[in-house]
Amino acid sequence: MNKDVLVIGGGIAGIQASLDLAEMGIQVHMVERLPSIGGKMAQLDKTFPTNDCAI
Amino acid sequence: MAEEMRIGVFVCDCGSNIAGYLDVKSLAEYAKTLPNVVFVKENLYTCSENGINEIKAAIKEQHLNRVVVASCTPRTHEPLFRGTCAEGGLNPYLFEMVNIRDQCSWVHMQERETGTNKARDLIRMGVAKAALLKPQEPIQSPMDPKAMVIGGGIAGMTAALAIANRGYEVTLVEKSADLGGLLLKLDKLAPSGADAAAIALKQADAVRRHPNIRLLTSTVIDEVKGYIGNFNVSTSTNGSNDQFPIGIIVVATGAQVFKPAGLYGYDGRKVITQLELEEVLKSKAFAAKNVVMIQCVGARNDERKYCSRICCMVAIKNAIEIKQVNPETGVRILYRDIQAYGTENEALFQHAKELGVIFIKYDPARPPKVEDGKVMIYHDLLGREIVLPQDLVVLSTPLVAGEDNEAISRLLRVSLDGNKFFLEAHVKLKPLDFATDGIYLCGNAHYPATVREAVSQALGAASRASIPLSRRVMSVEPIVSTLVDEDACRGCGLCAALCPYGALEIVRGEKGRKVRVIPVACKGCGVCAATCYQHALSVNSYTDLQIGEQIKAFLEESA
Amino acid sequence: MGNFKINVKRKARYVNEDLCTGCGSCAEKCPTMAVDVFNAGIGQRKAIYKYFAQGIPSVFTIDAPNCRQLGQGKKCGVCAKTCQAKAIDFEQKDATVEVEAGAIVIASGYDVFDPSVIPEYGYGRIDNVVTALEFERLLSASGPTSGHLDRPSELALEKEIEESEKEVRKLSGRVKQLEEKQGKNSAQVIEEVKAGASDPALLEWAKQAESLAGIETRLEAMHHKKAAATTARKLAFIQCVGSRDFRFNKFCSSYCCMHSVKEAMIANEHDREVHSSIFCMDLRAVGRGFEEYKLRGGLQANIEYVRGRVAEITEGEAKNPIVWYECTTDRQVKSQVFDMVVLASACVPSAGTAKLAQLAGVELDANGFIKTDSLMPLAASRPGIFVCGCAQGPMDIPESVAQASSAAACAAEVVIGAPAELRATA
Repeated sequence: MNKDVLVIGGGIAGIQASLDLAEMGIQVHMVERLPSIGGKMAQLDKTFPTNDCAI
Repeated sequence: MAEEMRIGVFVCDCGSNIAGYLDVKSLAEYAKTLPNVVFVKENLYTCSENGINEIKAAIKEQHLNRVVVASCTPRTHEPLFRGTCAEGGLNPYLFEMVNIRDQCSWVHMQERETGTNKARDLIRMGVAKAALLKPQEPIQSPMDPKAMVIGGGIAGMTAALAIANRGYEVTLVEKSADLGGLLLKLDKLAPSGADAAAIALKQADAVRRHPNIRLLTSTVIDEVKGYIGNFNVSTSTNGSNDQFPIGIIVVATGAQVFKPAGLYGYDGRKVITQLELEEVLKSKAFAAKNVVMIQCVGARNDERKYCSRICCMVAIKNAIEIKQVNPETGVRILYRDIQAYGTENEALFQHAKELGVIFIKYDPARPPKVEDGKVMIYHDLLGREIVLPQDLVVLSTPLVAGEDNEAISRLLRVSLDGNKFFLEAHVKLKPLDFATDGIYLCGNAHYPATVREAVSQALGAASRASIPLSRRVMSVEPIVSTLVDEDACRGCGLCAALCPYGALEIVRGEKGRKVRVIPVACKGCGVCAATCYQHALSVNSYTDLQIGEQIKAFLEESA
Repeated sequence: MGNFKINVKRKARYVNEDLCTGCGSCAEKCPTMAVDVFNAGIGQRKAIYKYFAQGIPSVFTIDAPNCRQLGQGKKCGVCAKTCQAKAIDFEQKDATVEVEAGAIVIASGYDVFDPSVIPEYGYGRIDNVVTALEFERLLSASGPTSGHLDRPSELALEKEIEESEKEVRKLSGRVKQLEEKQGKNSAQVIEEVKAGASDPALLEWAKQAESLAGIETRLEAMHHKKAAATTARKLAFIQCVGSRDFRFNKFCSSYCCMHSVKEAMIANEHDREVHSSIFCMDLRAVGRGFEEYKLRGGLQANIEYVRGRVAEITEGEAKNPIVWYECTTDRQVKSQVFDMVVLASACVPSAGTAKLAQLAGVELDANGFIKTDSLMPLAASRPGIFVCGCAQGPMDIPESVAQASSAAACAAEVVIGAPAELRATA
């Protein structure tokens, strides 16, 4: 049984899953096809319903 | 302390969020003139990898012993900058953040000069305080790797099983005699068509058989003392009391169906709720010829502004079931919006229409009128009132907060929202955590949810809970209340009475009654320090001296 | 499950990540522009670029097909010469990285439905009809217009002005040269040609001079237009573009109703004169605080909710889009002129999902998203593989975040299971 986890995708879901896993002490490999992580959320200006910045 | 103060100030453009409204260049120039400031840098985005590296480099090269960043809100970025200082070799509590965005540029968008002057004041105050900051170390606290789940519905059971499967001991507390919650009263689930009670009972069986789960039914929680890693819970079960230690808590207490007394002639027999309809369908007693369902009864109004999310799909599911029992039955659904969001729900909505269910939109300003044998409704598309025959009216009512929510929020010292549902730490980024550490949230207790959503949230809450559970020791931020002058403390207990987090207690020692701070529970809100007329309590990094100096700095004329 | 072997192609950045400081000097000097994908195709960026300013990792990448040296075989290398960290590496190759994992979490997200397949909405033909994502970039302080609601037609106009000015500079340079050499002025030459002169050199000169005059006149008109332009004030948001549509996607994309309300509110915050009309069937505000947010939009942010699906969008004067719809609450077919129309375009499975599903051996549902079960909502059809966020279906940020934590729990259970020292004795 390999102890690592592969996360495919560096958007908000991929980032949260990776952070949770890492905080549990698990080695995560995150793969993202674009040059930066952030996904669609990075392209948003503000988010509903709090109007917080997406970044 | 003969240490030479060397303060570095980083002023952020924040793209155009700050630079677009304030003269950031002049702010950076101004910062250079402030006492003890030896290094100033203006950044485009201080939070970017570049900005972070600049801070670290400056700490090393300029031998900085205090760092001030004038940028956005500490709520989102303070941990980042503290971490940066730590990586740069500086104690992270020798860092001060000044908010010149949310509290300045964003609220003075049309006032460049006034806004810039205000930012100058804020930066001057921040620098004055930074000079007085003392290094702090995180506070360590042990973690008892046991969990308690409150609520034995589908969310509670799923969370308990998930945590137990990770090897932790879980105590599941349920106030009724049975496991299963609302699902026990429902007929079928959609779109799977699965029997709701059967699903609940299957999970209940798994819970009962799991070696790591201790099940307490017919049990009420009387008191919860302590803090994350070290809670102490007192319960009573049919008169006998129990007490046990716990590390983390998951709230899965569900919600209740609103009973629309006085609305649309509700009588529980000919005008019933969807929940009551489930009962009728379950007992195979359905015999009506013409059903009219009314959506948003007691919801999306002044009293209860929110949309209860699931009622449209409940109505559609039940309408489909009625058509399956007898395709000849007339089913009409009167709605304001059909909330069939997502992939599965929209398909079900379509299916209902194919089976002949008729959907009529109504305006809340002209609600339907229910009379004996008929319902009158103003039909937008026809431009006139129409009369629908009925021998059964079903009212779709919202889920409202559980009756125990207020009591539980007091017991656990967690927040409720305006509708008395439990309130999470952050709507977007921490949807399953409470602001109070060590307590998590899932299912209807949070907000109306479908079974799929409740299960997903329960697994998520279990995941969040696993993070502290997996650690032997918790590390807590030292921005907490501290007894700085023990002799001054009279043991009056005013502070302990006012503390919203149960972080203070009065203990009897050699010097008499004195207050004792529980650092792990303390959120640094400052109510105790503000209350203490003896100035015995102070909050680290927010001492009277530091705040006093900030006020003095503000009152100075700016250079 | 438990022992996945995955081959990952690590694409060449042509920049050494360990050496690059993200300073940006290379991009300043790079001579080539390319379409800016991050800004949804609005505006351009250099061939050597950072995907967005705050991107992690904070390093640059060369867009090889658009790079003069790497993609077009021309001589350049300006970035390498400028780079003080010596981080540029034109010889870098794609690499294959082998990853071994006990569990996999798929979080591959979604793509925005391309509305150009709905010709009656005019997307791609009418400048001022944009998708919601393009509108986000226009609204963003860090976007191509610094948050000003400049209309795409104005942006196109600016581009035209820029190109015309370049053309004018070129032509007037040539004409001036001719005038100096020959000692005549162009007006004379034009007269001579009109009078019948047939010298090909003179004809060429006259042609250029006339062309120059023509462009200059057009430029003046364009400058007038630009001066008269204001930012977009009257906005229309069209819901269910490609969603709840038998021709394309039957499902509802969940977040677009809220997305449009939010964009309308933020636009109004930027400029109090902004008025928005949201054309919808059902306005789905089902999450915590959403209904209140929607009501606030109507009361405080000049938003009008119109119940009616839009039949057609045409282009009127001054490039203003005209929306044709039936208002179902008063049973009338109407049309309204707007400054800009925003299409709330559907959430569809991201382009690589089908291939990914095939590689991973997991099933897709009827809509092309990765299939999960109601009672095990994070598990894909193959044990050990979990899926969260929009890869499994349209959902908003709180749901994606909650699901991500859930998927993490499921994956953790597979790879770690019960920590040995905490396993309770059965």
